[in-house]
Amino acid sequence: MKRVQILLGLAAVGIATGGWLGLNAPPDALQGEYSRIINVHVPSSWLAFLAFGVTAFGSIAWLIRRKPKWDRLAASSAEIGVLFTGIALVTGMIWGHAVWGRAWDWGDPRLASTAVMFFVYLGYLALRATIDDPTVRARRSALLGAIAVVQVPLVYFSVNLWRSLHQTQSIRPDGSTMPDEMLRAMLINVIAFTILYVALLYARMGVAKAESEADQRGASAERVKPPLVDEVRDV
Amino acid sequence: MSEALVVGITFAASYGLIFGYAAYLHVRRRKTGR
Repeated sequence: MKRVQILLGLAAVGIATGGWLGLNAPPDALQGEYSRIINVHVPSSWLAFLAFGVTAFGSIAWLIRRKPKWDRLAASSAEIGVLFTGIALVTGMIWGHAVWGRAWDWGDPRLASTAVMFFVYLGYLALRATIDDPTVRARRSALLGAIAVVQVPLVYFSVNLWRSLHQTQSIRPDGSTMPDEMLRAMLINVIAFTILYVALLYARMGVAKAESEADQRGASAERVKPPLVDEVRDV
Repeated sequence: MSEALVVGITFAASYGLIFGYAAYLHVRRRKTGR
């Protein structure tokens, strides 16, 4: 628990620094103040990709090793990934409404593929919620978690593969298309959000482990439950 | 609504959601009794 608090504290300091730098960078000539939304939108999108990648890793590890910790890793990361995909979608819609003049366009490959990814992982969480048996739940969700990750590169490269309203990557092998002040603030936020993800992952896995142990204690208590007085009298 | 206000609300709502989730996990862990 102490580890989670230290990581959360570090992330809060990073976010405060990144937020302050982001708010003090000069506004974009065309987008105005709305350009600052990238400081939340881009780190959230990056975390969604990272979280679903970790879900796939945990899923494949469970399919090979069958250890409960890999199932907990996959499920915890998926839940956090859904949270950050939701934030990326909403912040993108707010920015799009202001800059593009429309919040949503189903014809846009980046927007549509991100929405599909969001609903697939929401479905992953729903699937887990409907299965009581831990082994069956782990097996089915591991299969889905291992397959669903194909969406991550598809979403990331959708702006290069198809014609999209969404701009292409700002950081490229030949340099960045952003001014240094904006880039610095965004990168600090990306690092801070990544620390935040690790903290949330530890916290969520801790909850999953504690709940699993509580379930096992409950099942054991059920098995050794003493007979009721009436049952003893009948004998 | 002014641009700065929209950006401010977006930041506050996003951070509120993230740290609210962290607080929810903390409470859920304590309720589990460990």
